[in-house]
Amino acid sequence: MYHAGTFITGKSFLYKLDPRVKLAFIIVLSVFILWSAPIQVYFLGVALLVAALASKISIRSLAQSVKPLLIFIILIFLAHALFSDSNSSFAGISMSGAHEGFIVVLRFLCLIAAAVLLTMTTAPSALIAAVKYFLRPLKYLRVPVDDIAVMIMLALRLMPILLLRKEKIENAQKARCYDVKKAGLMARVRSFLSLIITVLLAVFRRADELALAMEARGYAREERTSATTMKITPLDHAAIIIFVIAAIIFMALKYYLS
Amino acid sequence: MLSLKDVYYRYEPGGIEALCGVSLEINDAEHIALIGPNGCGKTTLIRHLNALLLPEKGSVVVNGLDTKKERNNAQIRSLVGMIFQNSDDQIVGMTVEEDVAFGPENLCLPAKEIKKRVDESLERVGIADLALRNTENLSGGEKRLVAIAGVLAMRPRYIALDEPTAFLDPAAAGMILEIIDKLHREGVGIIHVTHNMAQAALAERIIVMNEGKLYLDGTPEVIFGKVEILQKINLRLPQVTQLLIKLKEKGYPARTDIVNMEEAINYIEELIKKE
Repeated sequence: MYHAGTFITGKSFLYKLDPRVKLAFIIVLSVFILWSAPIQVYFLGVALLVAALASKISIRSLAQSVKPLLIFIILIFLAHALFSDSNSSFAGISMSGAHEGFIVVLRFLCLIAAAVLLTMTTAPSALIAAVKYFLRPLKYLRVPVDDIAVMIMLALRLMPILLLRKEKIENAQKARCYDVKKAGLMARVRSFLSLIITVLLAVFRRADELALAMEARGYAREERTSATTMKITPLDHAAIIIFVIAAIIFMALKYYLS
Repeated sequence: MLSLKDVYYRYEPGGIEALCGVSLEINDAEHIALIGPNGCGKTTLIRHLNALLLPEKGSVVVNGLDTKKERNNAQIRSLVGMIFQNSDDQIVGMTVEEDVAFGPENLCLPAKEIKKRVDESLERVGIADLALRNTENLSGGEKRLVAIAGVLAMRPRYIALDEPTAFLDPAAAGMILEIIDKLHREGVGIIHVTHNMAQAALAERIIVMNEGKLYLDGTPEVIFGKVEILQKINLRLPQVTQLLIKLKEKGYPARTDIVNMEEAINYIEELIKKE
């Protein structure tokens, strides 16, 4: 079963970039998304959309990643639209507040899109190797960088398992004619709690077995090597130059607009 | 050689003994089937072979390395690979390639060597084409093969498999048995825990366990010749042997020491020709 945001193999431009370059781009891009002027957010949104389409990642995949956060996004929008400090209002909704809410939502969507672009076009092992590369200086401070990398790998591995488990339990409930949509509020809360407990129990059991299996394959919380080899290619150089130029223009515009 | 000397093990202090004075020697490249009723200590025993469990009393020595000495762990775990009953619990990586690389990465091998071992192991179990697939999207049989490849990448001398065909359809189970046979022919020692007597009959030696103790030890022909002793612990004979016993009961001059299908077919063909 496919879950939104998980890596799918491909051969497009973004796949070919070094994972360190991609990770650095995404970090810088995230700062720009949060810091940019409202008009610039539209450009960033369009740029991310173009990057997704160029990487052959469908709009549907991006939408699937947003779906679980939809209620949260709507709440953000409504909070801005209803409680913004403005005089001009229609049915309690202020126009400037609605625009402000829209921009906040757009920033949020851009952040999700950037993260999804990274995780969908980078093999988890490559992503972990990149994180490990940037955390390397922390080794001198005795930070267990190798353990952190393994923890990230396990978190990525357990996420789809968690979702799959949740789906299985929901299907088992449906198979016995339980329709959560028809249930009252208390019944829904009870059902949610039992779902959470069952999923957590399954995950703890799985984590126990996984720890044993890791031990059986020689994992010992010590230094380990990586199968991933990272190499900066001319394509990465070109991407870095274009990104730096775009960033300078972006910052100049931000300065000009403010 | 794997050697267990008077091994005792309890999961909880004061609890029942999961292993009770087990002494056993397993030679290089031997194909062993470990059988016995549920809870008899089969899984506990194989978990002692790669130092996942340490004996409370007695000793386990793997190619001269005592499992009680922690410094031997890495070497022991690369010598004895372990396939768990549920492959889902064994897969660590998000992609097949990444998962198979996990063991060699723990052995601190250079990236080039890891890549070589990953490719080689995937090739050995015939799933080179799955290298980039997400491990979540694999079938039960494929997951089991990934688990075997992950162990092979550590180049073990022995592989302990805990019911490797459990939950698999006959085709996938057949594929796993073929791989086990191939690995044995390549010189890897196999310790195969199973409830399937036909699969046990494929081994060179069968060890029967009951209540944490070694109950019987011998060739399939010897073990399955002890019908009454096996029945006492609710173990059945392979279906082909049961068939031959029924034929004998009906007055046919059938041999009852045949335990595998191929031999039984040849023998029945001979009987028909004689008739």
